[in-house]
Amino acid sequence: MIAQQIVNGLMLGGVYVMVAVAFTLAIGVLNFLNFSIPGIFMVAGMVSWAALKSGQHWLLAFGFALMASAVVGVAVYFLTYRPSSDSDPEVPLVSSLGFLVLLENLIVLWLGSDQQSYPAIIADFNFRAGSIIVGGAQFLSLALSLAFVIALSLSLRFTNLGRQVRAIAESRRTASILGVNVGSVVPRVFVLSALFTGAGGILFAISYLQVSSSMGESIGFKGISAMIIGGMGNIWGAVAGGLLIGLVEILSTQFLGADFVNIGVYGLLLALLIIKPEGLFGMAVAREKL
Amino acid sequence: MSMLLSMQNLSKAFGGLEVVRELSFDVPERTATALIGPNGAGKTTVFNLISGVYPVTSGSIRFRGSDIVNLPSRYRIKRGIARSFQNIRLIPRLSVIDNLLIGQHVTLTRPFDVMRPFRLVRDHEWICAAKAELSAFGLGQYADEPVGLLPYGIRKRVDLIRATLSSPSVLMLDEPAAGLNASETRELHSHLDTLKERGVTLLVIEHDMQFIRSVCEKIVVLNFGCKIAEGSFDQVRTDEQVREAYLGAEQAA
Amino acid sequence: MSGYLTGLIVLLALNTIAAYGVYLPMAAGQLNLGIAGFMAIGAYASAYLTNVCGWPALAAIAAGGGTAAILAFVVAMPILRTQGIYLSLATFALGQVICAILLNLEVVGGAAGYPVSTHIEASTVVAVTVVVVSLVYLMSTTRVPIYLAAVKNDPLVADLLGLNVKALGVAALTAGATIAGVGGALYAHYFNYVEAQYFGVMLSTYTVLYVLLGGTQSVLGPLVGAAIFTIVPEALRSSSQWRYAIFALFIILFMALRPQGLITRGLTRRRAQAAVQGGTTAS
Repeated sequence: MIAQQIVNGLMLGGVYVMVAVAFTLAIGVLNFLNFSIPGIFMVAGMVSWAALKSGQHWLLAFGFALMASAVVGVAVYFLTYRPSSDSDPEVPLVSSLGFLVLLENLIVLWLGSDQQSYPAIIADFNFRAGSIIVGGAQFLSLALSLAFVIALSLSLRFTNLGRQVRAIAESRRTASILGVNVGSVVPRVFVLSALFTGAGGILFAISYLQVSSSMGESIGFKGISAMIIGGMGNIWGAVAGGLLIGLVEILSTQFLGADFVNIGVYGLLLALLIIKPEGLFGMAVAREKL
Repeated sequence: MSMLLSMQNLSKAFGGLEVVRELSFDVPERTATALIGPNGAGKTTVFNLISGVYPVTSGSIRFRGSDIVNLPSRYRIKRGIARSFQNIRLIPRLSVIDNLLIGQHVTLTRPFDVMRPFRLVRDHEWICAAKAELSAFGLGQYADEPVGLLPYGIRKRVDLIRATLSSPSVLMLDEPAAGLNASETRELHSHLDTLKERGVTLLVIEHDMQFIRSVCEKIVVLNFGCKIAEGSFDQVRTDEQVREAYLGAEQAA
Repeated sequence: MSGYLTGLIVLLALNTIAAYGVYLPMAAGQLNLGIAGFMAIGAYASAYLTNVCGWPALAAIAAGGGTAAILAFVVAMPILRTQGIYLSLATFALGQVICAILLNLEVVGGAAGYPVSTHIEASTVVAVTVVVVSLVYLMSTTRVPIYLAAVKNDPLVADLLGLNVKALGVAALTAGATIAGVGGALYAHYFNYVEAQYFGVMLSTYTVLYVLLGGTQSVLGPLVGAAIFTIVPEALRSSSQWRYAIFALFIILFMALRPQGLITRGLTRRRAQAAVQGGTTAS
């Protein structure tokens, strides 16, 4: 019934939230549509799987995965963002697409392109709330996503680094003039963004017990959609967008069939981009001044 | 003397912020009129309203007697209203000639001119016309240079020439002398003289008072979106309100 | 001519067409990340016409392009209201939607794919490609590329100079989609099989990437990019993943070091000037 589907949708949404927030950090702070993020999502999932398969403890496996995410994040910063601050904005976007292609192909070369089943870290338990069954792992995943986002939001608001990040998001030049060390804060935003999407990959893996080299494409791009639907540059908008996409996906699977999921999700994205490009909670894009 | 361009109670507000208020002034034909005022007075906004970049909040803009406030911006250059830009706005990667060809657009007469493979023709009339105009203003040697590599003063004049290629009736110039050294300013002056000889009406935003005095017959002074004075240079210079606006109340003595 | 070489030439031809399908909208400032969707439309529409309606191949291919054109025209107005990144995302979303719809359309095979009965020879593919490239070259000698550059660079000023910015944008999007549609139709009738999964976002991505590699400033750029993408990996003779990985690395390095791509305006102009002046360069 609907209530069950809604719950399932929200839990799937939790994963999308992580990716959407990662994108939001990039767009909001750096004005950079970082298409490598779906790639990092996939890398984290696959690396943690490989580590687990070779017998590592899950803590170590997750650690490796997150470290790999961070490393890729930094590589993207150095090779994509830094060289191109003054040219066409499509250049870093395209370069980040290049990273996505690179990551996907490297992983296939290393681990193959098959879908792999992921070991169940969290004991397979469910709990019931009334007539609704909630998968333990998925619930944990949703809870953790929200916790991470809250932590992020709080640190943006209350820590020094957070203030500097917000200053840069507001105006790079002004922040720089005011003494913010843009050169050291920006790479950290990249790392933060990479960690978020990497964590999302791990959460997806432990909830849905499968990983593949193409999970970036399928999940990651929906994360972009979530970000846009919620409103670019707005973290809580990304949360709303992520949960909404999760809902749309599960409900359209239920009522229209699995085949129509993509039509539903991307159709919604397309409609929104045309009608209200600033998303549900974003601010209208400023008009150009002459 | 007929009024080519006439603002009548022109007002523009952005949200709650009134940038232009009940502005009325005329631009006589075949003369040069200056639009001056402290920064933020609304001068560029007036240009944007005349060009059609912003819709008018209220009032009218009459060009040769008919109100153009509802005319979409892209048709206004065809009517004869052209402009140059404060920050130039040429296309840096294209050559000077290519930039000028864009300016020629409104002069194209035949329906499929845009699709005409003119580059296959050696010395096509369009290129010749653009080059001729360039040479008329002494800049012929820069024809094939990419605009982005040219010095500021040259680019400013190319921006002007692009505007004049449309054979406008009125040419609006937004701070044409800004950033120019003395010799470049002299070149600009003679450039504008040539335009006046051709019968083009000029409306100029400028801060360089010497320049205005030698180029413009009429001056309109704006402050906070309103007209505070209008007349010849000497009339305006001694106006009490103008002195106050520029110099501050205590200094106006 | 060996089968291997023929296959390579066909691949080069198809990649070249796809490249020009991306190049035209890009000249107007539109990054079309959904170009594969239009290829799919061309492929499926033309395949349906030859399979079910018995059309001759060439007519069907033209109609495939036409179908893509119609769709592009219909969505162009609303999509072009978005700009910059939003436009790229909208085209991406459009490509995904088209793909997803085709995946579910049982009348053309759905997820199982759609076999195409009529076969065209490699020579046909190459001939059509040559025609398309010639048309694009012809267009590059008109005012259109300059106008598109104006629209891309400074749409506000373009409008004030009297250009119909909207119309130019729609034309660029539609022309690019038409070319992509023809490319998809050629693909369908040469390989005699299409499946919607092939026309996904990665195909659009690869195409966009090699167009940018070749450079968008000159009309030769897309051809060069397609050539590199097609031929160099063959020379390396490695597995397809290695090729894509190396290609991706290439792109990343290029965007970092020479974002204008390989063939730039300056390069072609200096050659032309040298030719005109009989061998001596001016600057």
